[in-house]
Amino acid sequence: MSGSKPDILWSPHHPDRYVICDSELGLYRIGPVGSAETKAGTLPLSEETAATLLAINSDTPYMKCVAWYPKHEPECLLAVGQANGRVVLTSLGQSHNSACKELVGKEFVPKHARQCNTLAWNPVDSNLLAAGLDKHRADFSVLIWDISSKFSPEASVTAEKIRLSSVDLDSSSVVTKPLYELGQNDACLSLCWLLRDPKLLLAGMHRNLAIFDLRNTSQKTFVNTKAIQGVTVDPHFHDRVASFFEGQVAIWDLRKFEKPVLTLTEQPKPLTKVAWCPTRTGLLATLTRDSNIIRLYDMQHTPTPIGDETEPTIIERSVQPCESQIGSFAWHPSSQNRMVVVSAANRVMTDFTVFERISLAWSSTTSLMWACGRHLYDCVEDGAEGVESAIEKDIATRMRQRAQSRYGHDTVQVWRNHLLAGGNDPQLKSLWFDLFYILLMIKLTDLELKLPGNKQSVVYSGIKNIVKSSSGTTESRKCWSGSDRQTDVPRFLSEERFLALRLCGWIGRGPDIDVEIFLRSLEQEREWERAAAVALFNLDIRRAIQILNKGATAEKGDLNLNVVAMALSGYTDEKSSLWREMCSSLRLQLKNPYLCVMFAFLTSEPGAYDGVLNESSVAVRDRVAFACMFLSDAQLPRYIDKLTNEMKDAGNLEGILLTGLTKDGVDLMESYVDRTGDVQTASFCMLKGSPGDVLKDPRVQCWIENYRNLLDAWRFWHKRAEFDIHRGKLDASSKPLAQVFVSCNFCGKSISYSCSAMPHQGRGFSQYGVSGSPTKSKVTSCPGCRKPLPRCALCLMNMGTPVSNCPGTGKSDEKMDLTRENKLAQFNNWFTWCHNCRHGGHAGHMLSWFRWDTQEKLQMCRYFCNPLVQCF
Amino acid sequence: MELHILEHSLKVASIEKEGIQICTHGLIKLAFLASKTRCKFFSLTETPEDYTIIVDEEGFKELPQSEHISVADATWLALNVVSGGGNASNSQPIGVTKIAKSVIAPLADHNISVFMLSTYQTDFILVRERDLPMVMHTLSSEFTLLRVVNGETVAVHDLGVTNGFVKPKLVPRPIIHPLSSPSNMFCVTSLDPDTLPSVATLLMDVMFYSGGPKEPGASSEDSNHIRFFSFSLIEGYISLVMDEQTTQRFPNNVLFTSASGELWKMVRIGGQPLGFDECGIVAQISEPLATADIPAYYISTFKFDHALVPEENIQSVIGALRTKSTAQ
Repeated sequence: MSGSKPDILWSPHHPDRYVICDSELGLYRIGPVGSAETKAGTLPLSEETAATLLAINSDTPYMKCVAWYPKHEPECLLAVGQANGRVVLTSLGQSHNSACKELVGKEFVPKHARQCNTLAWNPVDSNLLAAGLDKHRADFSVLIWDISSKFSPEASVTAEKIRLSSVDLDSSSVVTKPLYELGQNDACLSLCWLLRDPKLLLAGMHRNLAIFDLRNTSQKTFVNTKAIQGVTVDPHFHDRVASFFEGQVAIWDLRKFEKPVLTLTEQPKPLTKVAWCPTRTGLLATLTRDSNIIRLYDMQHTPTPIGDETEPTIIERSVQPCESQIGSFAWHPSSQNRMVVVSAANRVMTDFTVFERISLAWSSTTSLMWACGRHLYDCVEDGAEGVESAIEKDIATRMRQRAQSRYGHDTVQVWRNHLLAGGNDPQLKSLWFDLFYILLMIKLTDLELKLPGNKQSVVYSGIKNIVKSSSGTTESRKCWSGSDRQTDVPRFLSEERFLALRLCGWIGRGPDIDVEIFLRSLEQEREWERAAAVALFNLDIRRAIQILNKGATAEKGDLNLNVVAMALSGYTDEKSSLWREMCSSLRLQLKNPYLCVMFAFLTSEPGAYDGVLNESSVAVRDRVAFACMFLSDAQLPRYIDKLTNEMKDAGNLEGILLTGLTKDGVDLMESYVDRTGDVQTASFCMLKGSPGDVLKDPRVQCWIENYRNLLDAWRFWHKRAEFDIHRGKLDASSKPLAQVFVSCNFCGKSISYSCSAMPHQGRGFSQYGVSGSPTKSKVTSCPGCRKPLPRCALCLMNMGTPVSNCPGTGKSDEKMDLTRENKLAQFNNWFTWCHNCRHGGHAGHMLSWFRWDTQEKLQMCRYFCNPLVQCF
Repeated sequence: MELHILEHSLKVASIEKEGIQICTHGLIKLAFLASKTRCKFFSLTETPEDYTIIVDEEGFKELPQSEHISVADATWLALNVVSGGGNASNSQPIGVTKIAKSVIAPLADHNISVFMLSTYQTDFILVRERDLPMVMHTLSSEFTLLRVVNGETVAVHDLGVTNGFVKPKLVPRPIIHPLSSPSNMFCVTSLDPDTLPSVATLLMDVMFYSGGPKEPGASSEDSNHIRFFSFSLIEGYISLVMDEQTTQRFPNNVLFTSASGELWKMVRIGGQPLGFDECGIVAQISEPLATADIPAYYISTFKFDHALVPEENIQSVIGALRTKSTAQ
């Protein structure tokens, strides 16, 4: 027989069996290659699998279509549709058990012979077999046979008339009366039962797709289309159906059946088969004539139902299972993405698995996921040592921990934020102290510190700018206190220098320039060396020695500090003394930088303090404070500029002290962020700045947005909200505009819109008595159309009338409540609505209504909805 | 109901039996090698007198010019009635009976000559292209008219031209041509186009060599036995009409046979060649059959018309038709 194209069917219940049908039926079993059963007859299908031919059935000539019985028993029952329209039940490779025997050989004969195009077993009621036939005059083209029906009495009546066909038939196995006849005067080219209801049959008719309902066969739903071939329901999505016409596939949504929800790109050659993958959602495989590739359309991420506007995302790709031209293919019913392909000629078969695309995603925490098919792999860095600590050190991990510990949110004790950040990063510590002092200074400028001019912006602008503006510097020579030496050390004083020292944290508030408070705080923190150095720089050598002694005797103190104290006490200003010589050479061996700079200071000539100023281990704030005390107006700006540039290049946050929250500061922060990626610190730091300048910088906005995105990515919704609130407090321009409006029932306009040109959050409603003072509220009609606003269901006053003006519920204790609690009274004026019945009124009235009788709570709305009761 | 006006422009030709050999090349190509031509409508009917060919313009190019071929001057259009399914009555009459009252009679009343071709799949009513406005006017009340243009079906409307169309007078239609009923029984059948190559030689033998050596037993046939065979290939569908003896030469299961295996007897109309201008002949036959609810096929050829009726009804049919003609 010529021209019969091969097809493949997988057994619905045996994952290793399939049938190839061309001119005959061949049952194959698929197994691993080289298994014990390897015989001469096995055909290799792939590198791993081979097929064994189990049985051949060539009883039914002129096969047009085949369908496999969907139930377990009988196991290998096939319905074959023939060229003359007859449907024959046959079996393959079965020992003839009784259930099967009764059915095998049964024939279903249409009234008028014409080609049988398609067959479909009902997946639930498996006795029903639908056959789609060509058109014959006014006859029906969709016949639904009941395979369990005995030959009908009519068949025996007509049996005598069977002259042409009865020769080879046992008339008792012939059924001529179908259970249902559908599609009169039409041709049926493809059929499938709908999975959403087993009584519904979808048929591709001559020029339309029709859905027949077996419960009411006179009705059909249909849509005119050319795409009527190969109808098939998506097994994963029961409303989605594919059909094709020539080279084009149409995808239908049965809920919106008027037109295809999408059509796939047209192929130059006509299609021969279209099949949904049973193991993977939204994967459609298509085959065209004379082709050696199978085209796959991935609709997994296509939204369902597809809106009219959105462009659906379909990933199209091609696979080539074998070299030769493909006759047909069939997805394996359970094995993932696997199919068997049979060639157009010679029945060459190939076992093929479509490799799933790999998708890769970093999590917002430190892991990496990749997904392939149904497998999900969580990738962790391989067990090398230090992975944990590397993760710990990672800025993302740390930012996440800091976000959880509310880092950045302490707005009162700003310096405490470095403790929230873990308290072990000297740069962060310096930064937060800088910000603390800056904010403190600003507060002081307002309160007591009467600084001339626009001091406030000067405070923000950092020491670099402060010292530049310095004027009226006086040089004072101060003696060493507590020492019998009479040597003078030149010190420079000016208001700006004092301000700088305050910003450095050396001296406190007020006109007092004593460092004693600072020293005590350092002692408390057991920073003995630093405290000693600060005392020394304030020319109080005795205090320095005292501090060192204290440090040595303190719990867990370093006894060596006593030795240092001894060395200090031997200070002499003689230029050529042994002490000085030894100190300047041995100080370099001291490990503590503060001890080192103390001796550097003592051994330096006045005005030449490079040993102190360039000791990079000493905190910037101390070096700057030192410079402010001992460098002249000529030296100081030079030093500060140099230091600033160093800090900026290194992205060292200590430099914020110098740059302040200026553009320079943003530059510095930029290099810090470049170095560390810490947008969190950058965001919080810059938010503290004066709103006008730095916040508008696109870099700052970028950090803030990135930090918010980061919080979103971690799903820290509450943190994100807190941050937004925090941000809104510091930067009013970042507040979102009002998003909820009350609209007028009559004209539909927002009632707050027309009264305030710029609708601002919370502002618009105040005029309507929803907030603010009761006496001010006057507006009781819509500003757009002048129609009255809704009435309170209880006091019957219009919205906008404050609650205290009306008699309300008439309960005296209620009134007393209102007067007692002013805040509550404000809320009482708000209007509120029931979302079900749209009734509402003053919040206070509503509250008291519900309080009135809890039993009738649920009755409330029903009561209001009664048309006899006044409502609005 | 819908009336489809198909897009084929058809020619009706007659090939003399003696001249068939010069046409076989073209005919074989049209019948068996459809993919080699652009012909979509081909019908060949062999009667004792001649071969009648109905073919579209594309297919007509395949036939040679010869004095053995006579062609009717007109170009014909095929009409096809599609009933919209609707409520399915169990015993739907088939063939011309179904359309006798709705199509054939009104056309006869308007003096429009029709040429019928029943096939296994459907019935084609051929009308002259020049008569089309009149046809549409006549049938627009009863049918939704649809015209096939480039494969697409589009609705057409009656042009509203009523000028000059005379109101038909409804007269009784007596049967005026002599009738005859051959003794052999016929089968209207079809086969799967895919299986056509396997039976091509057999079909060629039936088509072209029937005049050759008689089959055994053929000589014993009475003189009433008629040579009649029709093959058509229309839009991919094959239809065959042949007598019962011929069907037995085909392998089992190749021919589409209905479950009941019904057989048909022929009523042959006309003593003289009927010509193409006389109208009402089909109506004369089909109306009494419709009244009696007897299914029938109707095949017009170049010279005579042929109606096929179920064998069990032949006596009543003959009786009814005779009554009608003698009542005149």
